[in-house]
Amino acid sequence: MARPLAVARWFVGAAPGADRTLPFWRREPSRAQWLAIAFASLAALLATWWALTRPDGVVSPLFLPPPSEVWDAFVRLLRRPYLGSTLGQHVGASLGIVIGGWLLAGAVGLPLGIAMGWWQKARWIAFPVFQILRPVPPLAWIPLAILWLGIGDSARIFVVFIAAIVPWVMNSMQAVYSIDGLLVRAAMTLGASDRQILTRVVCRTALPTLVAGARIALGNAWTTLVAAELLAATAGLGYIALNASRTLEIGILLVAMAIIGILGALFSIGMHVLTRLVAPWARAGRAA
Amino acid sequence: MSGASATLAAGARRSGASAAARRPAAYGAAALLGLLALWGIATAIPGFVPPRVLPSPLDVVLRFGSLIAEPFSGATLFGHALVSLQRWSLGVLAAIGLGLPLGVALAWLPPLRAIVTPAFELLRYIPPFAWVPIAVLWFGATTTTQAAIVFIAAFPACIINTQLAVSEVDSILVRAARTLGAGAATTLRRVVLPVAAPTVFTGLRIAFGNGWMALVGAELIVGKQGLGFLISQGQINDSAATILVGMTTIGVLGALIDLVLQRVQRLALPWKPSIVKPFE
Amino acid sequence: MSAKMELRGVSKTFQARGGETRALEPCDLKVASGEFVTVVGPSGCGKSTLMMIAAGLEAPSSGEILVDGRPAGPAGPRRTVVFQRFALFPSETVAQNIAFGLRVAHVERAEIERRVAEQLRLMGLARFAGAYPHELSGGMQQRVAIARALAVQPDILLMDEPFGALDAQTRTVLQEEVSRLQRELHYTVLFITHSVEEAVYLSDRVVVMSRGPGRIKREIAVPRDADWRGLEIEEAGNRASFLHTKREIWELIRDEIVRH
Repeated sequence: MARPLAVARWFVGAAPGADRTLPFWRREPSRAQWLAIAFASLAALLATWWALTRPDGVVSPLFLPPPSEVWDAFVRLLRRPYLGSTLGQHVGASLGIVIGGWLLAGAVGLPLGIAMGWWQKARWIAFPVFQILRPVPPLAWIPLAILWLGIGDSARIFVVFIAAIVPWVMNSMQAVYSIDGLLVRAAMTLGASDRQILTRVVCRTALPTLVAGARIALGNAWTTLVAAELLAATAGLGYIALNASRTLEIGILLVAMAIIGILGALFSIGMHVLTRLVAPWARAGRAA
Repeated sequence: MSGASATLAAGARRSGASAAARRPAAYGAAALLGLLALWGIATAIPGFVPPRVLPSPLDVVLRFGSLIAEPFSGATLFGHALVSLQRWSLGVLAAIGLGLPLGVALAWLPPLRAIVTPAFELLRYIPPFAWVPIAVLWFGATTTTQAAIVFIAAFPACIINTQLAVSEVDSILVRAARTLGAGAATTLRRVVLPVAAPTVFTGLRIAFGNGWMALVGAELIVGKQGLGFLISQGQINDSAATILVGMTTIGVLGALIDLVLQRVQRLALPWKPSIVKPFE
Repeated sequence: MSAKMELRGVSKTFQARGGETRALEPCDLKVASGEFVTVVGPSGCGKSTLMMIAAGLEAPSSGEILVDGRPAGPAGPRRTVVFQRFALFPSETVAQNIAFGLRVAHVERAEIERRVAEQLRLMGLARFAGAYPHELSGGMQQRVAIARALAVQPDILLMDEPFGALDAQTRTVLQEEVSRLQRELHYTVLFITHSVEEAVYLSDRVVVMSRGPGRIKREIAVPRDADWRGLEIEEAGNRASFLHTKREIWELIRDEIVRH
């Protein structure tokens, strides 16, 4: 009987950060209060949206359609193909390119970054090259990619690759480079060879930062893909969005945006979970 | 030198001399010059690389010159750059104007966090470019659209980093201020904000960078001027040289902006920031 | 002699995920004007919690805090605190840190300058008035913290293990300085420490707490006219009377640690 009661009290009682010497607007709300406020806030938003977009409302449906229209658009996309492919095929097209480009960038960038972190000469040679590459936005490569590869999948994979490779390389390099020298020294005194230190000690300890680099690379890749699809695609979520905006099917446009956002969120959450799994000892914080 | 001892030596050197910085610089310069040479040689061999795909370094330099002198697709290089910078400034100023106070408020007032966070988290994961189609519908193909995209790109970094910076100000400083009789407003103004300022500024730098990158993309998709427009025109006109000039300008400007901001930060806020890792 | 500060029936219970944690059993504590009282006890006995409550930074679950016989109110300059981690404002110089409480209270400029100068002289900081905290050693930073706390002329000074983050040598120097200041100026002080030796050396009265959840186990008076007063801590530590008091207190604490 004590357990459920304790959980209930934890839920309803003051949050650990709550400081009763502070006024209520500076105090951390309890978890129950938090949920209630969050819920109310979302409900209010939804209600405002609905109210503004009513038939006699302030906002025209060409500007922002009512929630019902958006829902209808979603259902329509699920049922019938749009622009030659089903929703699933569009999503698959987008995902395929993002994951493909991201993995390719990882396959090249991860070993390269680790090498740069570990071997001084590699760093001295390669780092300036990436420093020069970095300020150029990945999207700026699109015209060049189209010129070289035409409007097709390869152009987009190329651009996604470019977008992802810089975080992969830089973060991997940083992860290895900033290993506490003390750990390396300890391994040396225990007789480990160079290669063993690299694989057993350095890569293991650097794992959280490596995964963080992968996470940022994925985020970049996704953002870039969406833009690339607005410019050079025949399928995919960005393509849907572009066409829907041209044909003034705003409901579909909003649905596409929402799906893009949800996928982005899933990527982020997935990577955070991966970080926790791979390195439970590290605090899952945000890395530069 | 074996990798392990090299790493150790690097560690020792990290805390040391700048005289040793000359050797890496030499290697770096050699690498870049090597690439440049490769590029030059590759394009010099007749028929090896079509000029349409990769122009020679000389072509690019010449193109750079002609773009400065004569208008292309509506403006000279400087003209396009200026337009881009204008749009970017508008967007980031709006992002700071809204993001900074909101970030401080979110960190200072927990109930406000509960109200704002759900909606914010929902919208945050939609990449800036996903907003382009709807921004065009709402604002037309005008500067407002571009600035709006810049705003959307810069705003999350502004607000999140500001919130992070303010909330991570060591609570012991707030307590100390209270015991010395400071009220909430005074504590915020005199203690929390100055201490958070360097970290907030770092967040701003990231936001500015994000905004610049987003602007270029937006200009690729929509608009009749600007550096993004320039390079898309380069593609339409089959001029790789134009594209390369444009890309270089974009990169250089982006790097310059960041350098200037770093300088400003060092001059205006010389005290040590707290150890907070910024959110990209 | 009426008490400058009194804690009556003060207790504290924390809410945590698994349930409640009782940190402090109801405690009664009095500090008279001009008295230096130290609270010692085994780790986790709640002495820091007691201090935070006394300072007004934590609300007690029961009981009240009185200053000069009246309810103490929220945290403020009448009960300033010196923290273990210094808590100096990094964006302000030494002089600005010391002046902080005075500026906040809108004391007039001439008076601020006078008091800051006095504190700088008292704590030996005159040369560092324009330095930033990160440029100073730990010992210097803590001196600044003490100066800052004293500049507002509080009714009572609260010190939460102030020397815990310092190395042994700096610690000794600061202990002797605090002892000297106390003998000259007779502040009212509530002090917390792990070190029994430090407690005996500095205090007029040592309060021993039990193991957590803590309550006040016993109070031991340390006579002002003991023969070791005024000596350096090394010297004092060799005197029989000092050792006797120290052992008495330590036995009480050890009893708490060892008891199952």
